[in-house]
Amino acid sequence: MRVTVHLHTVLQRKTPEGMLRQLEMMLPPAGTLGDLLRTLDITPQGDAILLVVNGRQVDVTQPLSEGDEIHLIPALSGGAPHHAGLAD
Amino acid sequence: MEVWRVNLAEQSLKREPVPESWSRFGGRGLSARILLDEVPPTCEPLGPHNKLIFAPGLLTGHVLTSCDRLSVGAKSPLTRGIKEANAGGSTGLHMTNMGMKALILEKELPANGKTKSGWWVLHLSLTGARFEPADDVAGLGVHDATEKLLARYGKKVGIALIGPGGEMRLSAAGIQNLDKDNLPSRMAGRGGLGAVMGAKRLKAIVFDDAGGKKPSLANAEAFKAAQKKFTKNTLEHPQTKGFHDYGTPAMVRMTNAFGGLPTRNFSSGVFEGAETISGEFMREVLLKRGGESEPSHACMAGCVIQCSNVYGGEDGKAIVAPLEYETIGLMGSNLGIPDLDAVARLNWEASDLGLDAIEIGAALGVAAEAGLMKFGDGTRALELMREIRQATPLGRILGHGATMTGRVLGVLRVPAVKGQAMAAYEPRGIKGTGTTYVTSPQGADHTAGNTVRAKVDHLDAKANIAISRGAQINSAGFDTLGACLFAGFGFMTAPEVISELLNARYGWQVGTDILQLLGKETLTLEREFNRRAGFTAADDRIPEYMRTEPLPPHNAVFDATDEDLDGMFNW
Repeated sequence: MRVTVHLHTVLQRKTPEGMLRQLEMMLPPAGTLGDLLRTLDITPQGDAILLVVNGRQVDVTQPLSEGDEIHLIPALSGGAPHHAGLAD
Repeated sequence: MEVWRVNLAEQSLKREPVPESWSRFGGRGLSARILLDEVPPTCEPLGPHNKLIFAPGLLTGHVLTSCDRLSVGAKSPLTRGIKEANAGGSTGLHMTNMGMKALILEKELPANGKTKSGWWVLHLSLTGARFEPADDVAGLGVHDATEKLLARYGKKVGIALIGPGGEMRLSAAGIQNLDKDNLPSRMAGRGGLGAVMGAKRLKAIVFDDAGGKKPSLANAEAFKAAQKKFTKNTLEHPQTKGFHDYGTPAMVRMTNAFGGLPTRNFSSGVFEGAETISGEFMREVLLKRGGESEPSHACMAGCVIQCSNVYGGEDGKAIVAPLEYETIGLMGSNLGIPDLDAVARLNWEASDLGLDAIEIGAALGVAAEAGLMKFGDGTRALELMREIRQATPLGRILGHGATMTGRVLGVLRVPAVKGQAMAAYEPRGIKGTGTTYVTSPQGADHTAGNTVRAKVDHLDAKANIAISRGAQINSAGFDTLGACLFAGFGFMTAPEVISELLNARYGWQVGTDILQLLGKETLTLEREFNRRAGFTAADDRIPEYMRTEPLPPHNAVFDATDEDLDGMFNW
């Protein structure tokens, strides 16, 4: 299946043509978000990356479907409610 | 430290000891305490009984990275409730060097006397207060006025000033402060405090800290150790590099990804032009253009995050400094404009006029909905801003913000709460921030409790009640400390550093819950002021249409229950 991956800020890839922040990827049929991250060689530490599929936050076990829009967004670490709400 | 009390009518300065009940506060909490103690909550905001408070934070004064912020407070002419507007820059540091716990400006200056223009400059130094005519800077935009004031008073001073917007007493007027490079770029923007300063006939306040020194430390060694830990944690935090390289504009693609980027007067949460106004795109542009452009820039001395920027044109000359996320949202996607240069020019106009770019951007969005401009027409948007500078009736209407504009032009869809325009997070797409807009004593204010980075389903209203509550408490705490919200990166790695710093500076023995204690107390004081000003639960509500009109792309409505909203401050 084909999915579109959007890389934010420091996750962008340096290429000879410039910074790459959007790429199409082909994944095997029963792929999860975790599989995709492994393919991209991205290992999120704790909550250091917000994982967003079709506009909703998910975790690495999220199964993916054809046409999914995936955003990988470096974020504040620490998910406890009272740590939230810091930063613009 | 002392309280500097200036009676503008008498043109006098009294330096007073700090009352016990004020001593444990700084910044936003101190401003709330003073306003509750001294300002009748039912007073006329532009009248003589309102007071304008400048209060540096509890940690301000030692060039701790990202912790020298300033709170400006008063009763707001925009919300008619309590208002705190927060700014970085150098004013806070100048105040603490002069031993100012707070500056309280009372009454108003006379329209005549030494002044021909009716405008004054207040010059504060360790030798006292001087009240001088502002005839050569009255009516000038903020940039020209700053140049003249620096030439007159020297390049080492701090300055807080208003632009033509504040002189016109427009409800969207803010108060600008110099950054560490002496640009008037750090605005205490929200809620019309520039109009309050204008009503007092004060064009500028000059803080001359010659002969001053940093506040003393109860335990210098312990402070140094805590400072070292804090700086290290901030530098090493993964988010710091992101903010250093991309700044707040990094939020564009993030908020767009969630379907919460206000687009065309908050009619959608996703903008097809987001790519060309994004932080990633901006960094490429600035690096390519060089010249005066800087993708990273510190607003306060010693800040290691340096999230600000200088946005330059193709000719290498600066167009505006800084160009921040909120402006990109409210003057970019909210106006359907996908062009950073156009947004930068609108930003410069707002800055030079001394107006809150969020409020003006929202007003322009409402004006576009009314047909006064087409969405996407940056040139027409600039024309409308020139009406403000020319003080035409339409200009004055726009200058009073989105709510006034909507009322006059007959637009129902006005994105505001308590009369203050929402920021660049659509409340139906990011319901936690929406909940903050609705319940915060400040009105629709994102810095009062932004939830966009929380690990939560942003479309789940119930789950976001606690998130908003926690965010509001923390933000009020940071605002009382004088810490930038981004100092949270360093603090959250080792939260005990906050109490270590306070105890080392003041000789206190506060515990690790001090941030939340300060935050809760501040919010309680603010809520009480608003209650006495006549606010009720009916004021803690989202605009009616946002409960029923679904927002693309998720087709979400704002569906937090009244019961949950009214329980926000039950702790």
